[in-house]
Amino acid sequence: MIKLQNRGINAASVTYDGGDVLAAFSKAYKIGYPMLSDQGSNVIRAFGILNTNIPNDHPFMQGIPWPGEYLVAPDGTVLDKVFVPSYEFRRTASEIVLRNFGAGVGDNSVSIQTGAFTAAISLSSDRCFPGQELGVILDIHMNPGWHIYGKPLPEYYRAVELQFSGDLVGNQRMDFPEPKTKLMPALDETLSVYEEHLRASGTLGIRWSPPMPAPFLKPLAKTIAPGKHKVIGTLRFQACSETACEPPDEIAVELPLSINEGVPPPPKAT
Amino acid sequence: MDPKERGEILNDIARKMGAGGAGINTASWLKFVDAQNDGYRTGPAIGARIPAFELPDHNGVTRALSNLTGTNGLLLVFSRSAAW
Repeated sequence: MIKLQNRGINAASVTYDGGDVLAAFSKAYKIGYPMLSDQGSNVIRAFGILNTNIPNDHPFMQGIPWPGEYLVAPDGTVLDKVFVPSYEFRRTASEIVLRNFGAGVGDNSVSIQTGAFTAAISLSSDRCFPGQELGVILDIHMNPGWHIYGKPLPEYYRAVELQFSGDLVGNQRMDFPEPKTKLMPALDETLSVYEEHLRASGTLGIRWSPPMPAPFLKPLAKTIAPGKHKVIGTLRFQACSETACEPPDEIAVELPLSINEGVPPPPKAT
Repeated sequence: MDPKERGEILNDIARKMGAGGAGINTASWLKFVDAQNDGYRTGPAIGARIPAFELPDHNGVTRALSNLTGTNGLLLVFSRSAAW
């Protein structure tokens, strides 16, 4: 939230709840943004995101939206939006900042130094709830004369990749920029390379963990205990210069990640 | 997903949840999650304008984009309910 505010972005939520429900929720969880009451779901309808799968006569699910969020400019233009197929999984504010404002990471960062490059792997936060998604940035500054490989690439070379592992890791993806193609005179081959600076960005989804011990949810996820955890990031690459080509290599680093305590169910409005 | 089947899944699980959760298993829960968001739509496209709106906030104050936005914009989050 603070990261958003520092970028001049406010936040607000919209639900179909009445003002009394929202007032109780806001107070109980010390919510720092306006919670808007769309009783009757007319604004949800105007946005075209009323969940039309819910049967008309459903006592409380009728009127909910498809779960998602918009980043809008002050004039109402949609800058970005995220809709998710399941309401359990949500992006973190830190990822939205990272995605839309690039730099300014460094909250949770680890660097790697080799003879060929200096790299930094950054997560958009060092804490989150189970089921949230973090932003990832990989920055690699090549030493002069060195390059690493990208895709497409013959199979006997290794393209750069970053992969996360560990108990917390759910889905993940990394998007690499288009590499340059370069003719290697000594090899008489044209290969996909990154020289000078490479910045790749992506997401790391933390596995969802049932917030309450409902027996039917148990097989879905091993419960993630709140507290300090680690995720392992493995950078795979092959570095070559004009005169030397190193074998494929990999370096694993640890990034700390604290899993927040689950939240209790919302209070009943009085 | 067939709308009739979807409705039956939604009603069946919601009824069982109301009765304390007995009879729900992992497979039926996952079907329930799928049924809720099957074919979901995402509203105004990136680059389009959102519809104008005026809504009361949790303090009863009427809010619109103009008095919600920061200098660079607003993150507007749509969620199901603060009650369940």
